[in-house]
Amino acid sequence: MSESILVVAEQHEGKLNRVSLETLTAGQALAAETGWTLQAAVAGNAVGPLANEVAAKKVSKVYAIVSPKLDPYTPDAFAAALKQFIESGKPKLVLMPHTYQVRDFVPKLATAMGRTVISDCIGYKKNGERLVFTRQMFQGKLAADVSFGSEPPWFVTFQNGAFRGDKVEAGASPAPVETINVEIADSVIRNKPQEVFKEAKQAVDLTQAEIIVSIGRGIKEQKNIELAKQLAEALGGEIAASRPICDSGWLPMDRQIGSSGQTVAPKLYLALGISGAIQHIVGMKGSRTIIAVNKDAEAPIFEIADYAVVGNLFDIVPPLIEEVKKAKAGA
Amino acid sequence: MLIFRKPLEGIERPQMPADVVIVGGGPAGMACALRLSQLIDQHNSQNPDNQLTKENIYVLEKAREIGQHCLSGALLDPRSMRELLPGFEQEAPLDAPVSKEAVYFVTRTGKFKLPITPPPLRDHGNYVISLNRFVKWLGSKVEEAGITVFTGFAGSELLFDGNRVAGVRTDDKGVDKQNQPKSNFEPGYDLHAKIVILAEGPRGSLTKQLIQKFDLMNDRNPQIYGQGIKELWELPPGRVIPGQVIYTMGWPLTTKEYGGAWIYGGKDNVVSLGFVTALEYPDPRLDPQHVLQDFKQHPFIARLLDGGKMIRYGAKSFPYSGWWSIPPLAGDGWMIVGDSAGFLNSARLKGIHLAIKSGMLAAEAAFESLKQGDFSVSTGQYQKKVESSWIKEELWKVRNFHQGFERGFWTGMFHAGIQQFTGGRGLHNRYTGSAGYEHLRKLSSLPADGGAEAHLLGPAKGDGKLTFDKLTDLYHSGTKHEEDQPAHLIIHDTNICSARCIKEYGSPCQNFCPANVYEMVDDVEQPNGKRISLNPSNCVHCKTCDIQDPYQIITWVPPEGGGGPNYDGM
Repeated sequence: MSESILVVAEQHEGKLNRVSLETLTAGQALAAETGWTLQAAVAGNAVGPLANEVAAKKVSKVYAIVSPKLDPYTPDAFAAALKQFIESGKPKLVLMPHTYQVRDFVPKLATAMGRTVISDCIGYKKNGERLVFTRQMFQGKLAADVSFGSEPPWFVTFQNGAFRGDKVEAGASPAPVETINVEIADSVIRNKPQEVFKEAKQAVDLTQAEIIVSIGRGIKEQKNIELAKQLAEALGGEIAASRPICDSGWLPMDRQIGSSGQTVAPKLYLALGISGAIQHIVGMKGSRTIIAVNKDAEAPIFEIADYAVVGNLFDIVPPLIEEVKKAKAGA
Repeated sequence: MLIFRKPLEGIERPQMPADVVIVGGGPAGMACALRLSQLIDQHNSQNPDNQLTKENIYVLEKAREIGQHCLSGALLDPRSMRELLPGFEQEAPLDAPVSKEAVYFVTRTGKFKLPITPPPLRDHGNYVISLNRFVKWLGSKVEEAGITVFTGFAGSELLFDGNRVAGVRTDDKGVDKQNQPKSNFEPGYDLHAKIVILAEGPRGSLTKQLIQKFDLMNDRNPQIYGQGIKELWELPPGRVIPGQVIYTMGWPLTTKEYGGAWIYGGKDNVVSLGFVTALEYPDPRLDPQHVLQDFKQHPFIARLLDGGKMIRYGAKSFPYSGWWSIPPLAGDGWMIVGDSAGFLNSARLKGIHLAIKSGMLAAEAAFESLKQGDFSVSTGQYQKKVESSWIKEELWKVRNFHQGFERGFWTGMFHAGIQQFTGGRGLHNRYTGSAGYEHLRKLSSLPADGGAEAHLLGPAKGDGKLTFDKLTDLYHSGTKHEEDQPAHLIIHDTNICSARCIKEYGSPCQNFCPANVYEMVDDVEQPNGKRISLNPSNCVHCKTCDIQDPYQIITWVPPEGGGGPNYDGM
């Protein structure tokens, strides 16, 4: 049986989690380098359409792992279902995105199979025949290369932003989709999920935004936020802020970016009037392109900005909005 | 509108009986718990028919992990540990025995080594330790011994039954910014304890409640505190000599301020570096974090740190004023140990060994009560034990040390000299003292540009490599709190902030807080255009604000348990 890589994609309430595409990109790269077959799986109850979505990408086969017991999500059910599937399918390498949900069940899954997980990896290398996975230690101060000493299946999770979801290759034709019905005994599931806490439901998930316009103290007054919102709208992005703005109640807390807010890595991060205190930077330094506007030439944000605009944001943003609108109209 | 943390009223709380509740899991609290366990074990092995249980002895620790809020230089005098755990040096995490020590008087660019290390600062026989790691280890021994440590639980108020301390109420969890219960609300427990031992560290919040209720300080000198600001630096291999101890006096402080720096060589190329500023300086614009940054720019220090990396930051207050500032140590249902009582030798700059010894003595007193089933016995015993122990012997000799310095550096040296020859008496048996914040002078009486103290005033800018601005330093304290909770820095009258303090003292909270918790922000509706704004989740639990605010209108109470700094390795 040829060696295979299995990418387990994640879904929530009928929608594919965007970060699964990053894992697929990783899978495709690994498959190309090793020559192993690439397969994917989606677990849940009515996940047929999602499996088809994944099948449009360049994979050999997609499995829909279904059972009514997989909805709502519980770690016990997911671990049991995937264990069954992996034991029969015997993939060599199992890849998943390092999401909250994966963190909840993958340790249980791996341990149940007598294996371990190399988690939150930021990349991989191939040293001859051996696959080596890189993960960060001590808040990013060190990078460690880790490889498996055990027999397959090997479990790996990748960090958000480690691979480019937009670089995933589409398939020449849709891959075959097979539905696997798994049996999960009631006694296996020990949790009974209750209604989701209101606080856990965020109005906006900034980690899914591709463009973010972020404001700091430089915005001066609450009414000026309107300007930033217009820019965000013109660009098709989301509005976000550094801590003082949210603390003052000018934007809700789920818009906060930084060590006590969200960590984001969008394609474009526009920082308006943000000084760049380290507490904010750690929340956005992974962004692909950073444009910073600040009238203080010494602002620390300029140290990590790709484009530094030293000037008054109130002079710069209004014409910028116009130019963006013009460019979009012309395009 | 600032809403401050207050235990919720009119709700049902879980009630739990206890024999002994120790509030605080630092060196004093842990030593107390361990000693109590040893005494109970010993008793049980000799009295099979009359066993005592450890099940009703609890340690409350507000940090998420034992040791997480412990910060000190630190140098450990092993005297009390050798009594508690003979042979402890074999297994305790000690960085290095002190190998060489030097005291320098420092000027802006030069330094002068004192030819003879003053006797109190001779550290031969002591150990360089990380208090955080040491307490973690000590805590593991407490847990092994079978005493329950509740981490993530703070003591939020004392329970009284008339004039008796009847127990401790823990913090309400899951309360939002408006002090309203959230969906994950859990009311604090009412622990009905036969004895409460307060081991909260410097300026304990329950200790403060107790002192105020019974006016315990009425015949004592007020407690003076210093603020210690510390950075851990990782230096190029070979630069740090493990066990090397350096103290400095002088620059950047002037004769108007008291304090100095310490540099302790640890293991693995890590050096502990910090500056202590006594909280009795005259200019309210002084910023202790700025003082440390200034200090690092001295050529000698800059050379030492060149090529190194700052890996952790923290700050804590500590009690300086010695024997005459210690309150009555015990009463009906309560005892106070460690820094909460003020057991610190300010001439030697050491308090950990005294904290441990006091914890042991309190345990011995509490054990007597457990044995006899009569809890009125222990409290009187504890006071007596301390007064006949080497704690008193050691602190008596330096009972007037700090007060001498209130009148200036050279005056202090003069008095300290005389005290050396008179067993601590000096010119009078008891020197009086005044509270630190009373030394703060109004801006109107100070030069607008700060005069000779200008380099100590206001926020540090930092170059990002050797020196840092406060926010950058603060990031390295690892401090984290649940964001959606009421502010735990209670300002009893915010009108004073916007109407009086800003003019009279220039809002010194912005300067003395090492964590950027306090900020005056623009507000056109205020008489002077600004109002006080708080960033409570930045707090590192140092208590400086409670100590140093000139109007004494700030009360620090513990935030929701589990929050606070992460003093790994400190």
